[in-house]
Amino acid sequence: MPAAAQTRSRVDAVPQLLAQIWDEALDPGYAAVAARRSDEVDPSDASPSRRRRRLGAGLSLALVGLLLAAAIVQADASRPAVAQRRLDLIARIQAQTKRYDAVTRQAAALQADVDRLKSAALGATAAGQLLDQQLGRLELGAAQLPVIGPGLRITLDDAVTLGPGAAGDPALGRVLDTDLQMVVNGLWAAGAEAVSINGQRLTSLSAIRSAGDAILVDYRPLTRPYVVLAIGDPKTIQAAFTAGPAGGGLRTLQQTYGVRYVVQGAASVALPAAPTIELRYARRVAGTQGQGSP
Amino acid sequence: MIALLGLVVGIALGLFLHPVVPIWLQPYLPIAVVAALDAVFGAVRATLEGIFDDKVFVISFVSNVLVAALIVFLGDQLGVGSQLSTGVVVVLAVRIFSNAASIRRQLFGA
Repeated sequence: MPAAAQTRSRVDAVPQLLAQIWDEALDPGYAAVAARRSDEVDPSDASPSRRRRRLGAGLSLALVGLLLAAAIVQADASRPAVAQRRLDLIARIQAQTKRYDAVTRQAAALQADVDRLKSAALGATAAGQLLDQQLGRLELGAAQLPVIGPGLRITLDDAVTLGPGAAGDPALGRVLDTDLQMVVNGLWAAGAEAVSINGQRLTSLSAIRSAGDAILVDYRPLTRPYVVLAIGDPKTIQAAFTAGPAGGGLRTLQQTYGVRYVVQGAASVALPAAPTIELRYARRVAGTQGQGSP
Repeated sequence: MIALLGLVVGIALGLFLHPVVPIWLQPYLPIAVVAALDAVFGAVRATLEGIFDDKVFVISFVSNVLVAALIVFLGDQLGVGSQLSTGVVVVLAVRIFSNAASIRRQLFGA
């Protein structure tokens, strides 16, 4: 068979196994039956057994069609299910985030009650007043009180026009958790006394990380644009930040990936209080005195 | 003729009746379809080469589907289901391509 010889030479390069599959694509049974049949004198086409076999082939093909259609219908039906599951998950995330917000607000309200009652109770005695002042200073340092002061406002956002380093991949033009970490570290290094990201006050226990494509600060997802507020010495903080490694890093991000950012000095920025920091395992070392000043 | 009619009737039944595929059978359905297609392409080629035989077709179709499903089933039990599925699909696809090439040569002489 010339056709077979042709394929043979073409597939010589591929591994023996695939070549064999290619060559024996046709069920060898057909050839065997054909050879047997050619030995018989006259294969009568109208015999009842032959007609029954015809019907068998027809039924088999009907089964093929049924399988094909069932598989297509099946694949079609399972596609909306996947989309539905995704929507359900998004709805659950939003519901839980809303609940988290409500609970946090409730906690803040209760905390305000506690503070008021505490001040009232402590205000009754001179020793109590001294204690109240000391507590106030500690809470200020531990980000437990809203604060206001001069500082910086840094706004970051994903790239609109991708930089040369992100050519063809919009994901590279996105602000990452590590970018925000770099900015926050740069702010602390530049002498910031308080930092918040999109209204989330950072504490000694705060974490900036990512889950999937979202950036989380203390388990709360952020949405772009990212506004980082910091309070610090108005005369030095902006220069120190811009000249520091974080300032350089931001410039690199902008030039390479097209990430947008603005650093503005601000005469007055207001930062909210952080949720209560609760230490469950850390205890004071015996014999040390708490320091009254932050 | 009966064969073509069968195919059309089968597809129509599947599309209009929306048969509910049992959940335990669902992983094997795509593989079974590919195996069935392989048998069909083999049958078409055999017809064009003048050596088609109904009995061989029925047996090759049934055994193809069963063996393909069995391999995937065994693979699932052994934890290599997706790899074995890939293997089965590769082998069947190569056969389908080979048969299709042969059919094309028979029909168009090219």
